[in-house]
Amino acid sequence: MKHTAVTAGFERVTWVVVPALNEAPVIRRSIGDLRSVFPNVVVTDDGSEDATGDEALAAGAVVIRHPLNLGQGAAIQTGIDFALSRGAAYVATFDADGQHSVEDLRLMLEVLCKERLDIVLGSRFLGRARGMTRARSALIRTGVLFTNLTTGVSLTDAHNGLRMMTSSTAKRLRICQDRMAHASEFIAQIGRLKLKVKEVPVTITYSAYSIAKGQKMTNSFRIVLDLFVGWLLR
Amino acid sequence: MMIQIFLTVLLVGVAVLVAVQRTTSRMLRAAVLAVVAFGAFLVWVPQVTDRFAEIFGVGRGADLVLYVWVVITLALIVFLYLKVAQLARKLTHLARAVALGRPRYPPGDRQGQDGATP
Repeated sequence: MKHTAVTAGFERVTWVVVPALNEAPVIRRSIGDLRSVFPNVVVTDDGSEDATGDEALAAGAVVIRHPLNLGQGAAIQTGIDFALSRGAAYVATFDADGQHSVEDLRLMLEVLCKERLDIVLGSRFLGRARGMTRARSALIRTGVLFTNLTTGVSLTDAHNGLRMMTSSTAKRLRICQDRMAHASEFIAQIGRLKLKVKEVPVTITYSAYSIAKGQKMTNSFRIVLDLFVGWLLR
Repeated sequence: MMIQIFLTVLLVGVAVLVAVQRTTSRMLRAAVLAVVAFGAFLVWVPQVTDRFAEIFGVGRGADLVLYVWVVITLALIVFLYLKVAQLARKLTHLARAVALGRPRYPPGDRQGQDGATP
């Protein structure tokens, strides 16, 4: 990735939010890679029972810890709150398990700045998904269809953990879905706030580790139920 | 006869529990006591439920009681579920405040003096 004049130095005013739950074996490496480009990383340790927090700290991230496990959506929102409190100009989200590419995130920052967008999302269906099973692909595509139908925003990959947004976007978004339904909530709010959004092709690398930790099929029902309850509580 | 005494004892127990509650409002306590009293009345004069059942087009009084009970239970479950979800949101805010109140900085971090803080 060529470092262009437009975004040179913008990495330094970006805060990358990494939600993490029991990721001790891999998080040091993920954070190390991330910090080679983005120096400001905040890890929300979502009540891990292993050394996730210590490992992330050793890799140079700021660590904030939920006193109890709340879920990925809550962890992301807490991280965003922290990033904004530190005066971030750009806020990104990045998964802890090493399935995302730092270069992709840098490209997303460049697209965000150059095209004056509000938020840029990663899409594995525009890009590549290494090692993704057919069943997972079908499940995610069904989820995308569901999200597109319910939010009115048309995207190819609604459930990607790689996001890059401006601080004003981060301030306007508010994730109330504590668990996995937050991905759909992001899209719904993008639609409601009429944000300027673009998807950028990214590469997701599925490893045995990330697949074992990833979403199970049965969670989809929970997500739909969570979205319904969230709608009732609005 | 046995079942009527058993149910009446239970209902009286509920009435006593409700009557001594100080946290619930007087109105709510009165309403619950009225429902309990009506229940006790039906226990001893069950024929009344048959009259009601006839009005609503249900075969037997016992069936009507069952249907009403199912509806009330379902409504209660939904109400409690939403209450739990609301509590979860409050818990999230609390946990978030705790988390943001004590960040851990890596060794050598100058706490945001590297250009990221205004």
